[in-house]
Amino acid sequence: MVDQLPNLGREAEMLAAMGMTSIEELFADIPSEVRMKGDLPLPPPQSEEEILSDARRLLGSNVALGERVSFLGAGLYRNYVPAAVFQLVTRGEFLTAYTPYQPEVSQGMLQAMWEFQTLISELVGLPIANLSLYDGSTAAAEALTCSVRVHTRKATQKDTVYVSELTPPDRLSVMENYCQGAEIKIKLLRHLDDGTLDMDSVSDAIGSCGVYVEQPNPLGLLDGGVTQLKEILGEHTALIVGVQPVSLGLVEAPGHYGADIVVGEGQPLGSPITGGGPIYGIFACSKPYLRLMPGRIVGRSIDVDGKTAYCLTLSTREQHIRRHRATSNICTNETLIALMGAMHMALLGPEGLYDLAVRNMTACIMGKQKIATIDGINMPHSNGEHFNEFAIELPGLTEDCLEYLDSVGIVGGFNLASWYPNRTNWMLVTFTDQTQVHHIDLLVKHLSEWTSTLEVAA
Amino acid sequence: MSHLFEHNGAKGQGYSQPAPVLPASEISLPSGLSRKELPRWPRLSEPEMVRHYTWLSKRNFGIDTGFYPLGSCTMKHNPRVNEVIAQIPGIADIHPHQPEHHLQGLLAIYYEMQYMLEVCAGMDQVTLQPVAGAQGEFTAVRCIQEYFRLRGEDQRTKVIVPDSAHGTNPASAAMCGFEIVEIPSRVDGRIDLDALRAVADDTIAVMMITNPNTLGLFEEDILEASAIIHGVGGQMYYDGANFNAILGITSPGLMGFDAVHFNLHKTFSQPHGGGGPGSGPIGVKSHLADFLPGPLVAQRAPEGDEVETAIDGHWYSWFQPTHSIGKVQQWHGNAGAVIRCWAYYRRYGRGLRTMSEHAVLNANYLRHAIHKATKEAGVDSLVVDGAEAKVAKHEFTLSLAPAKEAHGISAMDVAKGLLDMGYMAPTVYFPLVVPECMMVEPTETESKDTLDTFATHFAEVLQVDAETLHAAPITTPVRRVDEVYAARNLCLRHPYDDA
Repeated sequence: MVDQLPNLGREAEMLAAMGMTSIEELFADIPSEVRMKGDLPLPPPQSEEEILSDARRLLGSNVALGERVSFLGAGLYRNYVPAAVFQLVTRGEFLTAYTPYQPEVSQGMLQAMWEFQTLISELVGLPIANLSLYDGSTAAAEALTCSVRVHTRKATQKDTVYVSELTPPDRLSVMENYCQGAEIKIKLLRHLDDGTLDMDSVSDAIGSCGVYVEQPNPLGLLDGGVTQLKEILGEHTALIVGVQPVSLGLVEAPGHYGADIVVGEGQPLGSPITGGGPIYGIFACSKPYLRLMPGRIVGRSIDVDGKTAYCLTLSTREQHIRRHRATSNICTNETLIALMGAMHMALLGPEGLYDLAVRNMTACIMGKQKIATIDGINMPHSNGEHFNEFAIELPGLTEDCLEYLDSVGIVGGFNLASWYPNRTNWMLVTFTDQTQVHHIDLLVKHLSEWTSTLEVAA
Repeated sequence: MSHLFEHNGAKGQGYSQPAPVLPASEISLPSGLSRKELPRWPRLSEPEMVRHYTWLSKRNFGIDTGFYPLGSCTMKHNPRVNEVIAQIPGIADIHPHQPEHHLQGLLAIYYEMQYMLEVCAGMDQVTLQPVAGAQGEFTAVRCIQEYFRLRGEDQRTKVIVPDSAHGTNPASAAMCGFEIVEIPSRVDGRIDLDALRAVADDTIAVMMITNPNTLGLFEEDILEASAIIHGVGGQMYYDGANFNAILGITSPGLMGFDAVHFNLHKTFSQPHGGGGPGSGPIGVKSHLADFLPGPLVAQRAPEGDEVETAIDGHWYSWFQPTHSIGKVQQWHGNAGAVIRCWAYYRRYGRGLRTMSEHAVLNANYLRHAIHKATKEAGVDSLVVDGAEAKVAKHEFTLSLAPAKEAHGISAMDVAKGLLDMGYMAPTVYFPLVVPECMMVEPTETESKDTLDTFATHFAEVLQVDAETLHAAPITTPVRRVDEVYAARNLCLRHPYDDA
């Protein structure tokens, strides 16, 4: 710990300057009844080398997906993040800065975030983006409460929002926690057997404050019906669309088919999956939502000399000013990860985004084509188009299949029974820009083998 | 080039990537879903991109750039090895849905962090899921809300917050649906026990408070405050923003608190990154443990096949608390931040107390040095302590009210003057109970020499005439930014030629 404390060994000198003789005098105001007795029951201090070696040992015992052939996605997508992103984001001027409350010495991050807002705005087709929320789930949850703040006065279904029934339970749980305080009712939108939204169910949502659907949906399905929702719902119900941002290199931007708010896991642009965090949540909206939206926003302004300068703006929505009337309690967000996103987007450019989307989608198409050849495995939504992932129906328990694949060194897909308890033989298999042809061939080989062992047993 | 969107290389030349596994012609999309126009992103080569962000970084101030005495923010040094550790594939390239036997190392570190925070805070169970301090507040208040619901105490609809509290406290409680009862603080920012008694009744669910308080002073009456709240059946919530002052010396548990959040990005040095990411775990006493968001990590003896791969003879698994409120973040919190903070805590281990001692030593020394330097420069009449106190904790407040009165020099003017001296300015105008407030938190990672030099420069700024200070800063990338102009002429994205 010596290397972190410049004044170790200088305590007496500093205390003497203050007319004190012991550190204890600095804590004289802490009553003895609340004093901790004895040392903390923790191990002794370690040197940097010891910590690094222990970190390598412990983290080395985890199975990193890059060491295996992996088909696990379900909301987080392994991708390649260009080396320049890591090199630049660890520059101390970015890494070790606080929130840019002193704009004169924070122009770098402020401008980078203003540029991020523009990149996201262009990506999703909406004029306004904030500089990130915690993750896709909190962005979706904040979008729901925002839609109620904006619409509940005119809504015929007051304090009510509708959410796709396919929404993963962990994401839905975050929404419920964020919504319960405002007594917002969350109702579910049904899907048809082919995986698309049930338009009859959508008409139930007319007059509510907001509707949340995902494109691609949680099972990877691209649903053309989503483009008709705004027309059905009308201007007094917010259409909230959750996206996988890379898909927008091929798929129409939701803002161009009437979405009022677009949210999503920003992670595939700029960030490794990192066990699910830190990643960043995208939040973009149209003008009617601006003054009631959550999170920080950067505006372009001028300094006293008339020079272009950037600063945080519309802060009166935020907790440090508005306190309990704030639009959200968010303070610390995911700025640095959003910066990684901006850097990745800047490197990709429009055509690079298109290429990346094509790589993701064609890997998924090849996966579908090859898995379709396996006897005994069905695809519940085989008539649809998928991005990144699709569900397969196995001739046995998904749990058993994943265990088998694990035993041959493959991280199979995601067990959909943990989202939809009666789908005990459904698996979500994911393909990204990192999926190679021989990965898919290996998966198909072992899925076939597992399937045939079941047949033999039967 | 002044911004990213001025870079516009030849069309069609994106970042080079491997060929797709199938030609793009294999793709078909449902009708109406084909993107008609790609986003109008800039087109940069790597050298241009690297230069752009390097240029931006040079227009930004971080701890690495210089002294960052930003009160309430605990801007301590971020050890570089933590960044190296966070890039190890065993954290950067793992998925939260992998089976437990793939993630034993992660779970072991989570378990160790839960335990470390529990013993430091005097709490019985910690969850690492909340990803920021404000989210920790929200999560803990939600747990308490469900605790009271299960007990049938639905009449508890109010949360008490002192007027000197961080804005996130009332915002988080309000998000849970509670009514906020704000109580006035005494002039030194400490709790007014009479004001507290006046509002304490069986409609109170929680009192939220930070100790040391936002003026950097220890609440000596904390046990009495806890007794008042517990006496009416309420719960005590500890805002851990100022935890850096008390590690190993006292704990929220000893002070009578039932729940606490930690700002790992402050106390345990997850880099602030210009506004995030953070990590905001919470700890609770046993009666609230069943309500925490899951999953949490448990430790047990390995069985069967597990023995071979068990870490140090232990097996780790996730478990769900019985009455869990569910999730507040979809995954397992900011795992990457937790790992960095684990690496930070390991440097100190049982010596964390030394870290807090030095944080408090530095704050008191700087307070002393500033008074000494201003006296020697003959400007000591312009600045007074924000509150009377023999000792401060990890931070202290100054009031520039005399400077304002005498010369029209505001706390903001002094802040901008300090920017010209090459420092990040201390926090200004918070807490509100101190007029022309400047809140200073040096942290334990600054040397005595830095503190002495800063004190001298602080006194120099106070000797500058008002007119010059009003015009400060002049050496920064831009001068005072017109925030009113920004709000009135909203420009939240590059306008292209839309106009």
